[in-house]
Parts: sequence; C-alpha cells; structure tokens
Amino acid sequence: MAAQQVPDLSNAIVAQDEMGRPFIIVRDQGKKQRKHGIEATKSHILAARSVASIVKTSLGPRGLDKILISQDGDITITNDGATILTQMDLDNEIAKLLVELSRSQDDEIGDGTTGVVVIAGALLDQALELIEKGIHPIKIANGFDEACKIAVQHLDSIADNIDISTESTDSNLLKAARTSLGSKIVSKAHEHFSQMAVDAVLAVADFERKDVDFELIKMEKKVGGSIDDSSLIRGVLLDKDFSHPQMPKIVKDCKIAILTCPFEPPKPKTKHKLDISTVEEFKVLQEYEQKKFQEMIDLVKASGANVVACQWGFDDEANHLLLANGLNAIRWIGGSELELLAIATNGRIVPRFEDLTPEKLGRAGSIRELEFGTTRDRMLVIEDCSNTKAVTCFIRGSNEMIAAEGIRALHDSVCVVRNLVRDSRVVYGGGAAELTASLAVSEAADKQKGIDQYAFRAFSAALDTIPMTLAENSGLDPIETLSALKAKQIIEKSSHLGVDCLGKGTNDMKELFVIDPLIGKKQQLLLATQLTRMILKINDVIISGKDEY
Amino acid sequence: MSFSTQTPTIVVLKEGTDSSQGKGQILSNINACLAIQDTLKPTLGPFGSDILIVSSNGKTTISNDGATILKLLDIVHPAAKMLVDISRAQDAEVGDGTTSVTILAGEFLKEAKAFIEDGMSSHLIIKGLRKANELAIAKIKQLAVQITRHDNEQEFRQLLEKCATTAMSSKLISKNSTFFTKMVVDAVLSLDQEDLDEKLIGIKKVPGGGMEDSIFVDGVAFKKTFSYAGFEQQPKQFKNPKIINLNVELELKAEKENAEVRVEEVKDYQAIVDAEWQIIFNKLEAISQTGVNIVLSKLPIGDLATQYFADRNIFCAGRVSSEDMDRVIKAVGGNIQSTCSNIKSEDIGTCETFEEVQIGSERYNLFKGCPQAKTCTLVLRGGAEQVIAEVERSLHDAIMIVKRAVSHSEVVAGGGAIEMELSKYLRDYAKTVAGKQQLIISAYAKALEVIPRQLCENAGLDGIELLNKLRSCHAKGDIWYGIDFQKENVGNNMKNFIWEPSLVKINALGSATEAATLLLSVDETIRNDEDKDGGAGGRGRGAY
Repeated sequence: MAAQQVPDLSNAIVAQDEMGRPFIIVRDQGKKQRKHGIEATKSHILAARSVASIVKTSLGPRGLDKILISQDGDITITNDGATILTQMDLDNEIAKLLVELSRSQDDEIGDGTTGVVVIAGALLDQALELIEKGIHPIKIANGFDEACKIAVQHLDSIADNIDISTESTDSNLLKAARTSLGSKIVSKAHEHFSQMAVDAVLAVADFERKDVDFELIKMEKKVGGSIDDSSLIRGVLLDKDFSHPQMPKIVKDCKIAILTCPFEPPKPKTKHKLDISTVEEFKVLQEYEQKKFQEMIDLVKASGANVVACQWGFDDEANHLLLANGLNAIRWIGGSELELLAIATNGRIVPRFEDLTPEKLGRAGSIRELEFGTTRDRMLVIEDCSNTKAVTCFIRGSNEMIAAEGIRALHDSVCVVRNLVRDSRVVYGGGAAELTASLAVSEAADKQKGIDQYAFRAFSAALDTIPMTLAENSGLDPIETLSALKAKQIIEKSSHLGVDCLGKGTNDMKELFVIDPLIGKKQQLLLATQLTRMILKINDVIISGKDEY
Repeated sequence: MSFSTQTPTIVVLKEGTDSSQGKGQILSNINACLAIQDTLKPTLGPFGSDILIVSSNGKTTISNDGATILKLLDIVHPAAKMLVDISRAQDAEVGDGTTSVTILAGEFLKEAKAFIEDGMSSHLIIKGLRKANELAIAKIKQLAVQITRHDNEQEFRQLLEKCATTAMSSKLISKNSTFFTKMVVDAVLSLDQEDLDEKLIGIKKVPGGGMEDSIFVDGVAFKKTFSYAGFEQQPKQFKNPKIINLNVELELKAEKENAEVRVEEVKDYQAIVDAEWQIIFNKLEAISQTGVNIVLSKLPIGDLATQYFADRNIFCAGRVSSEDMDRVIKAVGGNIQSTCSNIKSEDIGTCETFEEVQIGSERYNLFKGCPQAKTCTLVLRGGAEQVIAEVERSLHDAIMIVKRAVSHSEVVAGGGAIEMELSKYLRDYAKTVAGKQQLIISAYAKALEVIPRQLCENAGLDGIELLNKLRSCHAKGDIWYGIDFQKENVGNNMKNFIWEPSLVKINALGSATEAATLLLSVDETIRNDEDKDGGAGGRGRGAY
C-alpha cells in the first residue's frame, strides 16, 4: 500500500496520500526551495568562501582596491572590507551574514573589517574538510569555540602595553595610525593623515574615562585640491556662507547669538487672520514690522553679540539691517550643526529674541569664510572655540571618490587611535599575531582528547590564512613565507615576527612598529568563530519563492 | 487498499469541493503530520541543528525554536496545522519544549497508524492513548523532585540556574550558558514574585560586539529618542535623580486645532504671540518648579523645551514608547502625569543612577538601581542581527522555564531520562491489562522513546545501542538515567544537573496526546474550492 511510504525528505515538505498523490502541506509548496542536511551546510560554506575570496585581495598594505558601481551609477572605490560588502548588494543569505559580520566589526572596532571576513571564510573552509571526514558539524563548532578561547588567551598573554601620552607628537599613536592607513589610497599622504587622526582623537578624548566621543569628530569633504590639502580644523566647519555678500569675510573675537527663531515678526501658531481694509491700517502694519526688526537688532546688539547664527532664514530687509548694524549673520543652519556650534562655542541655543543675554552667547576666536578656487562654494570655519572638544576633519580630493575614500581611511585610523586610548595593549600586525595564535592552538591540539583535536588543528590552519594572504597580496611566495616565519617564530621564541609586506628587509614587526590594538584582534577572532558556529549549526534551509507581484 | 464503502454518485457538494473521507483520510492526515515532525526532528536537543528560513519578503530567520519554525513554515494543510497550534500553545503556556511536543505528537500518530491500517477503530486507540497519558502524568507528578525555596535560598537559585542551562543547551548560546543563566535568573528573580509578569523583562537588541558583551540592567534601558538641537547640552548623568513621567506635549504650537483668531488691530498681534509663549512657558515653569532632573514624555518634547531644560540642567526625552514608559514607571515609581500643574512629590520617581551610554553604535538611557525594581532589562549584543534574534528567542525560552520553576519548583531529569522511565512504567502497566488497550498503551510507551533516540541521532551517537543501555538501566531501577552527551554514554542526569521543570513535561505530554487523539477522530475533510469569481462562496454544502 502506498501509504506505507515514508515522506520524501529531500524535497520541500511533501507527503502523499494513500493513492500516491502528493498533497500540499505548506503554502506555495512548489515555489519553496529546500536544502537539507550536509548538502545545506556545504552549500553555505561555498557561498561564504566566494564572499571571502572577493575581499581577500584587499587585505594588507599591498591589498588592491575594488570599484563598485551602484544601481544609480554611483562609483565607489575602496579597499575597506565593510564598505565593499555593504555595497555589493548580495542576495545569498549566508553571504548576508558575512556582511553583517564585517559591519559589526566596523561598529565596534572600526578596523579589521576585511580580516574578520577572511578568517570566517577560512574557518568555514576548514570545517568543510572535517565535515567530509564525517565529523558532526556541531562538534566542529564546539571545538572551534574551545580553540578560539585558547587563541584569545594567548593573545592576551603576549600583548605588549605601549605608552600612550596625551601629546600629539606621541610616536606610538602616530605609528599605529600609520599602520592602519598603509593599505589605503591616501598612503602617499599618510604622515599627514596619521597626524590628523591622532590630533583629532586627542582633542576629544577623555583620558580618565578612556572614552572618545565620535560625535565630536566631524568629517567633511570637498572635491578639489589635493589630498595633501586636507586639514584638521579645531572647531566647526559649516557648509554655509555669510548671509550678505558685503559682510566682512573674517570676524575676530566672535560672540555668537545662536537662534532658533526666524528673523521675522513673530507669528502666532494658531491660525489667524488680519483684515486690512484701509490704507492707514496697512501703514500701521508696515510700521509694526519695521519696528519689530529694529527691536530684534537692538536686542542682539544689547546682548553684545557680533555674529548671528540662525536656524531659519531671514527677510531681505532684516538682512540689510544686520549689515547696516555691523552684525555678521549665517542663516539656514541645520539643527545638528547648530547644536555642534553651540557645544563648540559654549553657547546656549536661544528660542526667541527676548531671551538673549550676554551669558548665552557662544564665543569663538575667529570665523572666516573659505573660498575654493574659482567655484562659488564657500564654507565657514569657526576656530578657537571656547570648548576645544569639537574638531572637524576636512578632507580634500581631486574627485568625489578619492575624497570619500579619504574619509573612510581617516575613520579607520581614528578608530585605531581610539582603541589604543581605550586599551593600550597591542599585538603585532603583518600576520604576526595570527601566526603565534595559530602555533599556540596547534600546540594545544595535541593535548586534546577526542574529536576536538581535529577542530583545533583546523582552527590553527585557518589562522594561517591571514599571513598567507598577506604574503600572496604582497607578491611573495605564500607557502614559503609562512613556513619560514613559523619556523622562525618557534626558534626565536618571538611573537612579533610577521610578513614583511613592504620589503623593508626585516620580519620583526616590533622594529617596524606595525601594531594592531589587542581588542580589535580579539574581536575579530570571537566574531568569526561565532558566525562559523551559526552557519555550521544550520542544516535545513527553506526559502520561500519571491512574491510575483 | 481502496475505500471500504463505495462513493455515492449523487452530487451533493458543489463541483470543485475537495472531499476525502474514511480511513484513507486519517492515514493521509497522519502522513502530513509526520512530514512536519521530520522537519523538526533535527533541531531537538543540545546537538540539534538550526533551520534557516527565508520568507517571501526576503527576511532571514535562523532558529532552533520549534514554535518559531512552525510559524514561519506557513503551513496550510488542515491536519498539519494542528501541530503548529499545539506547539504554539506550549509556547504560550510554558514557553519551552515546543519541539518535543511536536515530535511526541507525531510519534503517537506514527504508532497509531499501524493500528488504523490493521482496521482497529480509532475510538479504541483514542481511549488507549488517553488512558496512557493519564497514567504518565500521574507518574511524573509522583516522581518529580520538589525543592522548596524557603529552605535554602542558595540551593533554590542553583536549581533555577540548572533549569535555565538545560533550556539553553540546544541553542546557539549553549557555549555561553554560564553567562546567560546568571542573567536569566537575575532577571526572573528581580520580578514581582507574586505574578511574575515576564513582559516586564525588557529585551533590547544592539548589533555588534560578542554575545558576552550583553548586559543586564537592574532597571530600565531604552534607546535614545529623537532629540532636538540643545539636547547635547543637557547633562547625561545623575545620581539619585528625580524623575517625572509625562503624557504632555511640550511644544510651541496651536493650542486648539481648527481654531482661528481674528486679529482686529496690529497691536493685538504681539499680545497673541505672547499669550502662546506664555502657555508653554507656564508648563515648563511648573515642571522645573518641582525640582526634577529628568523629564520623560510619551509625546514629543519640542526644541524650545529641550533648550529650556538644557539651560536648567535637566535631562529630557520625548516620544518614549509607551512600553518603555510603563517599565520606567514600574522601576522608578511615580505616576504618569497628563498635566503639568499640581505635580505632587509622590508622583515623582527616583533611582540610584541615570546615565546615557554608548552601546555599539547606539546610545542608550539607563536607569539603574531602582528602589521598586520589579523590572529589568537585558541588552543583547551579537555579531549579526540573526544571531541576536536567536539569542533573544533562546533567552525567552529560558526565562519562561525559570519562571515556571519559580512558581512550581518541581523538577525531573532531562536528556530523555523521564521519558524512558515513563516508557518503562507504561510497559509494565500494559502487561496488567487485557485486550486491545494493552497494545495501545505499549505503543504509547514505545512512542516516548523517540525523545532519547532523536537526541542520540542528532548528536551522531549510536541510538540503538544507547537506547538499549537506557532500557536496561531503567529496568534495574535507575530512574534518572538519560543520555550523557559529555561521555557519549548513559548517565544519571539528576546528578548531572540536567533538570527540567516537571510542568513542561506534563504540558507537553498532555497537548501532544490531545492533538493526536483529535487528529485520529477526524475522518473527513471537506474543503471548498477557492471561489475564482470572488463572488459569494457559500459553505459548499449548498444544494446546487
């Protein structure tokens, strides 16, 4: 009898009635795809591997850039792992997980976004081999977890504490920032950029709480000029100009009235109506308006302000009056910029003219208007503010893409500096940290009983991928380099030997001062292992068909 | 085998109506349920795998939770839907064991199938299953180990932690279970022990960081709300602040919609403007008069108010969702105010510390050390959104289990131990009954063995061998022997602290049996063909 037949497992959930006819259990059964068991795991690993191989070539100082063209034709050139993956618009679910992985590395640490994907890809690659040997995927994942613990412990034990001082000439911070810029497009100006990154972080860092508030570091870009013309502005940069062309281009010793009300006669919010039937009434109205403008100007003057920053616009008449009274004015400033201005100048935002008092004014050393070449764009630079804890990094570049990549590069190195301020322990780059962790794990492997031994070895092999990829990207023979380095690390018992990507003639990363913050490396390993576990744990995939309309 | 009665040729039903009946119908219903059971089987136990489901709108879910999977499968088969319903009921009732209830129901049906094929009346089977169920539940109640909380607070806490660990063992977070069990137990114990409303445990998700970066807040945490210019100038940290919760809009706006003011003379103009300002200033004045440090409102707090508060060193947050607001009130005390006048000191709440902190890329407002804390918040972190979503589901299960354990502190051993013991008990009992019931009760006993068998299968262990070992252990009277995954052998799970509240098992057996009996008693399905014209369909039994 047909009913004895066991339902087919490999297909979507299909059962058969006693006549052998399939019947529908799940909606849109025909459109659903299902993968099951080891097959599913394998296909995930392949998907992850192909994503990892895309970003692999961007790793390290000799890594290459990718060009990404969005649907609207916008072009992005970058070698930042998180940016590449986010813009790739992947469709595969597992690939999407990798994107999120690099994004969370970006959110938390801000650097090492390529490395984390490469490690995750390598771990999955190794897991595939073990699965083919017939090891249960979850046992592999458990083994990886244990191995990861050992690796992280080992990194903790070899990490060096470097001295961080609050001075902007601190060579350690500068060198660390330079390492992170090494692979970026701005590397020709990396002296300049690393100085900018260090200055920016130190300006806003709170050394007691070991915290850096990124809200206080703004990044602005402007096409034109060369990347060397980028600068750090200790103050606020507004993409605005003075409201009247005849106002002076530079104001010293500014007292700024920061307003959120328009320079107009006040209006009630309730709907209102004023009937004007005679000429006299009209004249009265006009006089009233005139009087109001004068009152406003008087109030501003009385408070002692010489610059007016306003969230809203003002009437031409008001504008003229401001000029006539020698007040410089800026209009249509966005809410968040206004807030930044208020913080930087220690001013208070004032909601109406009657509330203006001298104490509420913001103070700044100078406000000047920047002009760019022959274009009519202007920007306002507000410097020497009373609160120095707000800086703006102003990036120039010959085209939109370079300027955008410049911002990303600077962001990465600002993150590195921030991480060092938070936790001054470092490990060495150039694959040195991964290599020593790999050695530690493979040593621990021999002490394991049971299946974990395989997982440990696989984990250690996966860690080797980083130095190997670095060597490959730098045009060295990967296997030769790796084996030579491994031997050297063991013989010299030194954990700071890494791949000499730039051909400096030494493998000692301590000497070259190629460092990475410890927390960044630890995070990479933890996140990658966690993701691997998640992917290995899936053995059934059900994908609904896309809606047709 | 064909239908036992011939189908009559008289057309009673509307054309296109799908109807099937008789034994064949029961069998095909059972098959449908077995197909569902097969989907869920691999997710059971500590070595259970996850299922990745992509819904038609492209949302990805990775889960191991039976109820979640069944919900997302979008099942349309009427009989199979029943299984979805019981797993959902289990989720609502006890919150865990949703996979095992589905597997058990499927297994009961599988056993019943053979009897149906042999021509046994389904009513007899139903009777037998019910009898067996009754006996099993009575046996669990008898076996369960009672731990009273008043005896030993320390021991009680340990009991809860064990239960939570067992509930988490199959989930993604099993490796971090020591970290999370503490969190879960803290969370449940911080609730009002009388009514234990788990809705007061807030769970917030922030992508990024490792899972162990998750934090437990003994109070309330919520994401920074939308703020206006001036917010950054407000203080972000307080010790013992006074907190007021409002349901008032603090914005400069028209007081009445649709009202119109007719201005007679130009000079009146200013008066009206001033009057409007006065209204809002009066409100703000009244608030600052009370001496509060933190102002929260369900409704927007406008830029004017934000700057006013910034000037007076008061922190404010508008548009707080009402869920968060309720929890804040539960934590800090006080009442929600719908007016700014007449605020009394008892309407103002307080807590030990308030601060705004950066968690990942988001900013959170934390209220800690609340005096009346009958609420707490878990801020979960993880590498990807799906990871956090799964952590949340796992924690939910664990929280429910702990909650159950707090109210009914009776436990049994997990890892298949209690199932094996019940199975043995029922087998012995069956031998004392004469007639067909004997067969059915032993079938029920056999069906219970599916749990340990599936646990072994998922872990890649030899199911048959271990099952035989278990049988012999239980025959010798070692009632708490179950699968020990560490040793890949059998072991005393009561000693290994693999504990589950007995309520979970009682409920699971009860609903699984109920679902199975219900399915067995259905022998006809009449399904109306979908009306293609979209006109009135009728019930299909109309005389056409």
